[in-house]
Amino acid sequence: MIDVAKIDYWASTGTGFLHKASPISKILFVLLVVSAAVVAKNPYPLLLGYGFLLVFARAAGLPWLKIAFFSWYGAFFALVYALSFGKESFIILLFVLKAITPALAVLMLIVSTPYPRIFSLFTRILPEVLAAGLFMTYRSFFIVLDLMGHFVTAIRIRGGFSKGRFFKNASNVSPGIGMLLIMTVERSSRLYATMMVRGYQGSMADQGDVTVYPRDGVPLGIGMGVLLLGIIWR
Amino acid sequence: MTHMHIPDGILPVWLWVLGFVLMLAAIGFCLTRLGSTNQLKKIPLLGGLSAVMLVAMSLEILPLAYHINLSVAAGILLGPVLGFFAACITNLILALMGHGGITVIGLNALLLGSEAVLGHALFSFLKRVRSVFLRSILATIGTLIFSTIILIMIVAVSQSSPELFLPEHEHTSKQPSQDGTVNLLRFTVLVVSLGSLGWILEATITGFVIRFISRVKPEMLNHVLHRGQDTSRGLP
Repeated sequence: MIDVAKIDYWASTGTGFLHKASPISKILFVLLVVSAAVVAKNPYPLLLGYGFLLVFARAAGLPWLKIAFFSWYGAFFALVYALSFGKESFIILLFVLKAITPALAVLMLIVSTPYPRIFSLFTRILPEVLAAGLFMTYRSFFIVLDLMGHFVTAIRIRGGFSKGRFFKNASNVSPGIGMLLIMTVERSSRLYATMMVRGYQGSMADQGDVTVYPRDGVPLGIGMGVLLLGIIWR
Repeated sequence: MTHMHIPDGILPVWLWVLGFVLMLAAIGFCLTRLGSTNQLKKIPLLGGLSAVMLVAMSLEILPLAYHINLSVAAGILLGPVLGFFAACITNLILALMGHGGITVIGLNALLLGSEAVLGHALFSFLKRVRSVFLRSILATIGTLIFSTIILIMIVAVSQSSPELFLPEHEHTSKQPSQDGTVNLLRFTVLVVSLGSLGWILEATITGFVIRFISRVKPEMLNHVLHRGQDTSRGLP
């Protein structure tokens, strides 16, 4: 499971230079790396870029081994897609690197920037219902995760999971998910009442700062470097 | 396999840009549909159900590398408009976890959102089916087959070819592809063979979840939540 709670902890507690860079510069850094993946027709510049990003992540005090591991999550799906193109190792390597290099950049963004700061930038372009929905999802996620953890523990204690008994397992897990949905709806109703009492009138998210500072030069420079590698080395 | 895990840079630029344009158009349309109802009341609910979807999607089932989506369940419970918004929110947060490419956010939102919309429509259409469990399973399987067809169509129209990704000097030494037909067939076989197991899993879990809700809190299935009205009438 992708541990969002742990990601949030890393984002909130780190003190490295990437943590100090502004969210807008880190979003631009991600977009530059994504652009590199879009234009790349050769796996080697992406491989080099991936290596650069890992060195950069380590220097910034990020949990580089863990985010490197997480970045490989998309590799399986890229592999499926690459195999549909044939068994050319060049293409397989290219597709896998096109998946993991931007994923690593995105993970570097999220382990160095708390989600609310990222979402606050989105409020500039998203309609209120989506912007506020993002914040509410983020808030509710940890509650749901906690409830899910209790449920999984309870079902394990009672022997609810059995190897190879797919239908039985599904019938045991599903009431838990159903209960989660019901409890979430009830909590949402209570939360809405609380928000109304506190004067909620349809706007909960501050618009994020889009100023770029001198300290933002490092992430922007690295992003530009990876993009240039993709453009020049074809 | 109901949303694309295709990395950035594989699909042509026109296709993913079109995905973003269509996503924005769909959001605009949904906002006009939502305009007459009480938006403020929906936001905590939208956030809550999106969070449940997110938790479900972050639980990977090994060795299938599949995760359940609950997009059909969200469509049934939230209705088409809020279901679409929940799909957009979940998809955006997933992309920010490195789960799926950034450039395919638009196409993924359309795919996942279409599941919420179609899931709701099929569930409503099948109201003659007495068993809520069976009704949910049929709605889910129908929806997932539809979204998989859309996914294959997206790959087909992308006209991606291995030659596009080979260096210049290797183009001459390779046999040209047969208009991508063989590739598409191979992609379809891979997606359907892996995805069909996921359809069964998703449909079974959705069926049990909706049956559980119909027994414990049936008013949730009468769409009281997205209609903003109060009713206590339950399903059979």
